[in-house]
Amino acid sequence: MTAYIVRRLLMLVPVFLAVSVVIFLIIHLIPGDPVDNLIKIGSGPEQRAAIVARYGLDRSLPEQYLIWLAGLLRGDLGTAIVAQRPVSTLIAQALPHSLALGGLSLLVSAGAGIVLGAVAMRYRDGPIDQAIMGGVLLGSTLPTFWLGLLMILLFSVVLGWFPVSGARTWSSLVLPVMTIGLAGTALVVRVTRIAMIEAAQKDFVLLLHAKGLSPSRIRLRHVLRHALTPVVTILALRIGWILGGAVTVEVVFARPGLGTLLIKALNQHDYPVVQACLLMLAMAVMLGTLVGDILQAAIDPRVRANLK
Amino acid sequence: MRKLLAKAALAAGICFAGLCAAVPAVFAQEATIVFNTNEVGAPTYNPIKASMLNAATGLIYDMLVEQDADLSFHPHLAESWEEAADGMSWVFHLKKGVTFHNGEPFNAQTIPAWLELFKESDNAYMSEAIDKVEVVDDYTVKFAMKHPDPNLLYNLSSTFMAIPEPKAYKALGDKFGVTEAIGTGPYKLESFNVGSETVLVRNDAYTWGSPLSKNTGPAKIQKLTFREIAEESTAFLELKTGGVDMLLGVPTDFMGELKSEPNITVLTLPGSEVAYMSINVTSAPFTDIKVREAAAFAINQQEILDSIYGGVGAVANTFLISALPESQVDPKYLVKYDPERSKTLLDEAGWKMADDGIRAKDGAPLKVSLWTQSDTSFRRLSEVVQAQLKAVGIDAEITSFDSSSIRDQYKSGKQQLAVRSYEWNNADIVDWFFGGDRLGYPNTSMFNDPKAEELRKKAMSGSANSEQRQANFKTYHEYVLSQFPLAPIYQPTVNVAYNKDRLVLPEQIHGTEVGPVTFMDMTVKE
Repeated sequence: MTAYIVRRLLMLVPVFLAVSVVIFLIIHLIPGDPVDNLIKIGSGPEQRAAIVARYGLDRSLPEQYLIWLAGLLRGDLGTAIVAQRPVSTLIAQALPHSLALGGLSLLVSAGAGIVLGAVAMRYRDGPIDQAIMGGVLLGSTLPTFWLGLLMILLFSVVLGWFPVSGARTWSSLVLPVMTIGLAGTALVVRVTRIAMIEAAQKDFVLLLHAKGLSPSRIRLRHVLRHALTPVVTILALRIGWILGGAVTVEVVFARPGLGTLLIKALNQHDYPVVQACLLMLAMAVMLGTLVGDILQAAIDPRVRANLK
Repeated sequence: MRKLLAKAALAAGICFAGLCAAVPAVFAQEATIVFNTNEVGAPTYNPIKASMLNAATGLIYDMLVEQDADLSFHPHLAESWEEAADGMSWVFHLKKGVTFHNGEPFNAQTIPAWLELFKESDNAYMSEAIDKVEVVDDYTVKFAMKHPDPNLLYNLSSTFMAIPEPKAYKALGDKFGVTEAIGTGPYKLESFNVGSETVLVRNDAYTWGSPLSKNTGPAKIQKLTFREIAEESTAFLELKTGGVDMLLGVPTDFMGELKSEPNITVLTLPGSEVAYMSINVTSAPFTDIKVREAAAFAINQQEILDSIYGGVGAVANTFLISALPESQVDPKYLVKYDPERSKTLLDEAGWKMADDGIRAKDGAPLKVSLWTQSDTSFRRLSEVVQAQLKAVGIDAEITSFDSSSIRDQYKSGKQQLAVRSYEWNNADIVDWFFGGDRLGYPNTSMFNDPKAEELRKKAMSGSANSEQRQANFKTYHEYVLSQFPLAPIYQPTVNVAYNKDRLVLPEQIHGTEVGPVTFMDMTVKE
């Protein structure tokens, strides 16, 4: 098992390098320039040239990439060109907000998703199942920024239960977490339901019935447990997705976070910040996949057996 | 029993929700204000290094000079000043008894120390004309100039030239403006979270407010919280539900909605923005001045103001905002809708009306491109402009780009017509957008005319004092208008909305925006 984890971690190194090249190229090759955001009305061409030189933007792209990579390996994310602050402090300010929002929404979608999926499977093809699956369809197709605004209208404007926006109190987390959580729930419900239906058709379930165990006990203790493997994989994949996918929700609820930081930096072409944010998101996806695989190995003896 | 439990749970839930709602309870003499969306994400309150500063900056620091709504200059930390007749030196008399938030005195010694720091920044061009700063006595400084700079007062009134405490600035390094910000202003920085909120507390020692405010200090509201909300609908809902007390920028689209709210007052103030259509003078058929003139006179400014903006704001007939004296050009240079003139000019230029309503010359139809940003407001304006051009027989095809990549597209020089806007309240904007050495961007018109360059040079550096500068810029502006590298369209207003049950604002708003001058006089209803 340890050897497996070490091997998986080592495999991340080439992926990391490839991702860093792609991220660097994307932001440098799209049209636009951070210097346009720095020079102000009235300054001349000489000032522009001076600024370009100061941030090393006059060097060739491979050279700029190597400088950035060398900094990265030393743990230095560089200094934001437009924001004029160390990128690491900008990220450090944004990350806790993103983690709180992402983590809680993951919990909500996991909890609600598994429960609703199990319920839908229990009442398969009945009205309850159809109601749940209909709600799920709605949740997964509504754009989150719109859903967010609807939530504000209902819970803040009409009912007055929660603050409209901001990140000052715990109560301001409720609506954004529900908005993201709802979209995630949809996926988990569907996967849980299908996996449980499939597992319920296996021979061992028939045997359990034959042994005379109660149907609800079989469903919860055996079928659900069996069906959780794909669900865990899906949830682990969503770890990375949830950090980046919260962008629109962060904007609607005026919350600080990686998403808002990234959007702002993209608009200003603030290269170091965009690179660092994208790298964070890519790392979250990579680590999420890794965690998913390891968890799978931990809960499924068959996977473990294959490793040996 | 089960039902009882359910009821208890429900009751608990409601209580919890009630508690949540009670959290943003507002106490007396505190106000929550939302920044304009274009100020969201300003990363620092360091006026020397920043490329972007928000409205709270002017409350932490003071400037030497204050500019009023009519763009005239008024004393602040400088009580009075004298300019030498040849513009080669300025003497500033400083206010006495001013101290920084950390107790350090503000006096003549502060000025050279501050300007020295300024030299290392990207904003250094603002003080570049100052050669030497001489400390005459404790409260008098004399600037010896490299060349006359009639724009000096304007630069000194900008928040980028707000004065930080030089010793603390050096001691704090990169942290200055982020964890701490020491100025002489009416409020002290208590906490700052980028992209979220800034909390300011009153500076009780403040007695040196600018004469533009009725109250010269200390400010009346004890604590101000500035929030950053990027989504305009969210900001509007916050104001509606009482979560915040004031929005510093409201899009014109929301005006109707806000006016129907009984407890909200909307102020419309003249802004510093001008929307215009730039015309690329190097791209055929616009190489012909008659075609440029025809396109410019095809724009119906009044119709745009009435139909798109509901009459809020003003038409633009020159390149500059109406508050600037340089915009008062000779009436013959004004660009005002005149479709007959447009049609005659196109006929003269050889573009004859064809059956399909598009003019043609030698068999080629008058088809041009019209570039704009993909934001809804720009798209909508461009569509109306497109229809108005069509009415005189010009077929313009709209292409839109996102706001950050459009600048790079302009640098290619392939644009023909482009609907754009700028925000600036100084006549040197003509130099910025039509200077021959900035072709592509910012000079999207690719305008490079020998006579204009001569007038431009005279306007930019050939003026000894502000009257001369005004006259020179007016001539330059008039000449640029006469060559039609642009068609002016619209001057939007700045819309500020506030909860009138909570805040009382002075009757007349002084200063170029709802800024420090207004905050000094603002009170919270008990």
